Amino acid sequence: MNSGIRNVAAGAAILAASSAWAADEGLVVLDWPSYDDEFLFPGYIEKHGDMPSFSMFGEEEEAFQKLRAGFKADLAHPCSQSVSKWREAGVIEPFDPSRIERWDDVNAAVKEAFNFDDGYYLVPADWGTTSLTYRADLVDESEVQSLQVFLDPEYAGRVSIGDNVDDAYALAYLAVGQTDWTKATEEDFQKASDWLRQAHQNVRAYWVDGAELAQLMGSGEVLISWAWNETAVTMSADGHNVVSNRETIEGSSDWFCGYANVSNQANDEAKAYDFINAWMEPRVADYLVNVWGYGHGNATAMADLGDDAINVGLGEVSVPVLSQVPMDHNLRERMIAEFEVIKAGF
Amino acid sequence: MPNSSRFAKWRRSEAFRGLALASPPFLYALTMLAAPLAAVVLFSFWTQDYLTLDRTPTWNNYKTAWTEAIYQALMLRSLKVSALVTAATVILSFPIAYYVSFRVSPRRKTLWIFLITIPFWTSYLMRIFLWKVILGYNGVVNGSLMGLGLIEEPLTFILYNQNAVILTLSHAWAPFAILPIFVALERIDRSLLEASEDLGDGPVRRFFRVTLPLAMPGVLAAAVIVFIPTIGDYVTPRLVGGPNGLLIANMIELQFKKANNAPLGAALAISAMLIVTIISIIFLWLNRRYIRSRA
Repeated sequence: MNSGIRNVAAGAAILAASSAWAADEGLVVLDWPSYDDEFLFPGYIEKHGDMPSFSMFGEEEEAFQKLRAGFKADLAHPCSQSVSKWREAGVIEPFDPSRIERWDDVNAAVKEAFNFDDGYYLVPADWGTTSLTYRADLVDESEVQSLQVFLDPEYAGRVSIGDNVDDAYALAYLAVGQTDWTKATEEDFQKASDWLRQAHQNVRAYWVDGAELAQLMGSGEVLISWAWNETAVTMSADGHNVVSNRETIEGSSDWFCGYANVSNQANDEAKAYDFINAWMEPRVADYLVNVWGYGHGNATAMADLGDDAINVGLGEVSVPVLSQVPMDHNLRERMIAEFEVIKAGF
Repeated sequence: MPNSSRFAKWRRSEAFRGLALASPPFLYALTMLAAPLAAVVLFSFWTQDYLTLDRTPTWNNYKTAWTEAIYQALMLRSLKVSALVTAATVILSFPIAYYVSFRVSPRRKTLWIFLITIPFWTSYLMRIFLWKVILGYNGVVNGSLMGLGLIEEPLTFILYNQNAVILTLSHAWAPFAILPIFVALERIDRSLLEASEDLGDGPVRRFFRVTLPLAMPGVLAAAVIVFIPTIGDYVTPRLVGGPNGLLIANMIELQFKKANNAPLGAALAISAMLIVTIISIIFLWLNRRYIRSRA
């Protein structure tokens, strides 16, 4: 859920899904819409002269069910929350780090988070931050220093939260003072759910993708949102006075996605590693940060980008950051169910 | 060789030719419609346990679907929205069908019907997004009303709620209501209208005593055609429904995907189908009774 779907409207996703098949059948990548962008793996095209074949999905569960049903692919692009489940179901297998040229540059914290008993399951590719984002021309800065503003009756009908269980609960856990959801207790879960239930009263709409949120905020209908860093970046570029505050007293959140090695392979693995190696090049980090507004999995390249990363809301912050790392699957399934109950108004 | 000759004879019979003709579509319907439906029914009695399916038959999914407040509320909300959509669509479509049937010259009727379908050449998603533009915070409706000085603040009750779902669906399904009503109106013998006028009916009485009763089969058909699909629609509520506009179909989609509980999704789907079937049967029964009482 936390991924590049974020900048694509649902309609565009469907169009992309039907038209994104490229020529080279030697590598099949199961990916989010719009990741079939040649600038994300220029090294691969230089080496093989052609794009890999892409098959698109709009939601990770859809991709998971496709793989379980026997779809043959070489690589897939899940986000942090799905990896353990996919691994337990046996649809993905570990990578061989010695075949990844820039393995030492790859974000250590993230790659180690997916170092299970039998090896590394995820090469972190893209990441971003989720934070309180507001219309600076209509809301005073002093009002948005705490996440509790989402409960303020003054903003009833003027706030928006993503239709995404991980982001929503990241917000709720932060708001009730739990900054690491792997340590969340039953009581934390109840408190977070109650908080979301209260926030629901103020929510105008649960935004599904960045374009929808941009419309909601651009018109002034929504003044305060819980949004990805790209929203403030792209909306400011369009001339809107939209600012994100990642340093609210309770903190903010971050998410990441990456490539996983599919067990039911369509082809020899060599091209899959070429693709990963192409993705990890510093020039791709530059492109991803400056054009997409996302972070890149190559930590060394990110550090070299310096201010570019800070400008798009990916720098260090001094408040707690709830990292959307894998959590207990029982708790997550309950979060999913509870979020839907809350959204339905119960 | 009595057997083979009997077979040869049977092969020449009308029964064989009938069967041969009907078999391919029958098999097609069986594999494409009955088999998936049977799979859904089967699923609804199983239990999902994280990654594995427990195949012990159980009624638990149905118990959950029928007793938990959230599913009851969503089901009732869906029925209410569908009923309102059906009413709005039929009431708004009737005058159009009436105009085309009674006022447009016979030579131009086909052209008119053709023109009515033109807006529906655009993708449905596109039309939903257009409604969002029209109903939005700084959209066409709010912009006009504020420009005229009729309102100070933009109206917010027109988008991201059930009203928006009803409006968008009514617009989308209008041609499916116009056509059956138009056909029913076309079949009315115009001399009956003259007769009622000769016997002293004014235009209003004539409409209610002759035109409307004779058009009733078309109206009921339109109602069924609109009601059944709208209860299963999940795109419209997702895009214009907002926080309180989600319907049962959204919940079914969610169970199959994010919530990872296909058996509960199947039980909800079967329950919704049962309810729709019962309502449709009532409609059809009303229609038959109506026709019989007129005959």
